[in-house]
Amino acid sequence: MENGTLLKLENIIVEFGGFRAVDGLNLDIAKGELRCLIGPNGAGKTTALDVICGKVKPKDGLITFKGNDITDLADYQIARRGVGRKFQVPSFFRELSVRENLEVAHCKRLGVFANVTRFRRSAESDGLEKLAELVGLVDFLEVTAGYLSHGQTQSLEIALLLAQNSELILMDEPTAGMTAQETVHTAKILNALRGRHTLVVVEHDMAFVREISDLITVMHQGKMLAEGRAAEIQGDPRVRAAYLGSGGISHA
Amino acid sequence: MNGNQHKILRLAGYAVFCILILIVPLFTDNAYLLNKFARYIVFGILSLALSLSWGYAGILNLGQAVSFGLGSYCMAMALKLRTIPIQTGAAGLPDFMVWNNVDKLPWFWEPFHSYTFAIFAGVAVPVIVGYLTGWFVFRARVNGVYVAIITLAMLVVINLLIIDQQKYTGGFNGITDLTTFNLFGIDFDAYSSALYYLAAISLSVFLFLGLTLISSKTGLILQAIRDDETRVWYFGYDVAAYQTFIFCVSAAIAGYAGMLYTLVMEFASPTFLAVPISLSIIIWCAVGGRASLVGAALGAIVVTGVQGSLSETPAFLDTWMLIMGVLFIVVVLFLPNGLVSIVDVIMAKRRRRVASKTAIATQVTPRLRDSVIR
Repeated sequence: MENGTLLKLENIIVEFGGFRAVDGLNLDIAKGELRCLIGPNGAGKTTALDVICGKVKPKDGLITFKGNDITDLADYQIARRGVGRKFQVPSFFRELSVRENLEVAHCKRLGVFANVTRFRRSAESDGLEKLAELVGLVDFLEVTAGYLSHGQTQSLEIALLLAQNSELILMDEPTAGMTAQETVHTAKILNALRGRHTLVVVEHDMAFVREISDLITVMHQGKMLAEGRAAEIQGDPRVRAAYLGSGGISHA
Repeated sequence: MNGNQHKILRLAGYAVFCILILIVPLFTDNAYLLNKFARYIVFGILSLALSLSWGYAGILNLGQAVSFGLGSYCMAMALKLRTIPIQTGAAGLPDFMVWNNVDKLPWFWEPFHSYTFAIFAGVAVPVIVGYLTGWFVFRARVNGVYVAIITLAMLVVINLLIIDQQKYTGGFNGITDLTTFNLFGIDFDAYSSALYYLAAISLSVFLFLGLTLISSKTGLILQAIRDDETRVWYFGYDVAAYQTFIFCVSAAIAGYAGMLYTLVMEFASPTFLAVPISLSIIIWCAVGGRASLVGAALGAIVVTGVQGSLSETPAFLDTWMLIMGVLFIVVVLFLPNGLVSIVDVIMAKRRRRVASKTAIATQVTPRLRDSVIR
């Protein structure tokens, strides 16, 4: 991970009304890293992702991506710079087919008028088919996305991120609702992505986190509580204290 | 394969529809009927315009009649200025201006001496209004039912404005006593087959242009916006630009339809941009199938056609509205995706009979079933 910092959060503060969801968060994500963000409910994990992708604007603090200040950019401008996001609630295009979903995600030219004169090209579809194969949806390309099972929609969302081909990928609970088998497969995909892409993953499933992560950041009450490898984190008494009441970290 | 088959079937359907509307004058030379049919066709164009923004981009525009009315007024203004015997004022002023003690033609009436300008304005004015509305609404990321409320309010405001400015717009009466539109030596008399053909050809052209638009990548992205607007922002698309674009396209087509409507009706009236007609467009779209251009056009023609013939039949004089109401309920209950979805239902049934290999593929797409307003 000596490629240097890709994303840097400095002293980020996010408030909703009077409530501080994120309270002076500092985060350094190296290029090509796969970072897991864990923490008890309400720790500010999702808000941290929201702040990075521009969904929520911080009250204070600085976000730099590839050395540029992106704090005040609009969400779609941040996306254009190479930040992709998967939300906790399934969000894809229910009435479009899987192929069309991928076509929307995979687009190099984003303007209205550039796209008026563009029609489907087979060369582009080839890549998308390979992608669908990777996430196990190749037999479902023509199926309306609304008919996919919950696990399949999670796979679709990962495929959407891959089609978008962002340098930085933010994922909020990518395995929620997946079967054990699908979870294993997703872990494989994420492991394959590491290096080419940089990933920040919010996850509750510790087995999954151990499977994929280099470094884990533990958040608590809007702050970073600890940072380290899985073994270090699980031995950390502060982390245990934060999770107290929820049966310890392994069952969180 | 399957997708291509579907595309060819769709193209064939569009072609059949266009041929059908184009051959109508071969079967009747009844001027009254032709005028009536031309009116239905114009409503078809108007409905198609809404289908583009509502059916394909999820923008429920309750103010569609604004564009329609503005187009209609632009055409009426040009025709009014050419109505020679009706001008009663000394300076060739339209009659209603004289009655309102206006002694000089207002500056914004001046350019309407030119047909070219009037036709341009009939499309451009609705587009400008649409662009401004779209810019404010979509930049602020207003969506769903709030768009409907804002556009409805716009409609009411513009309607009141036109009624109130009687000196310049003819107020409640609108602009009446118009000359016949003449272009390239053809008289487009309201009761002529020439005007019917103009309307039918226009509808055909818009159908295929619209089809091209929705088959483009822009069309795909618009449909994605309809499904999940937020997600599209995070792919880096400027969703507001896309929404404003389709809003303007829809306004342009509706403005064009408004110009035709002036020719068909031989006047322009504030009722053309009032709430009832705006709501009617929604009904036409919903009955025909809002996520289908030909469906929306068909819906307008069927609904206004049935409405027209029922209300003119003595037996139904008291009950025709009731019958219409029942028809709407039946369509919404049994064909929630509109009349065009009959094709899908039949196809799906056939497919199910032929093979039931994949359980998923054989189901009828529940397009747009879950919510009426998006």
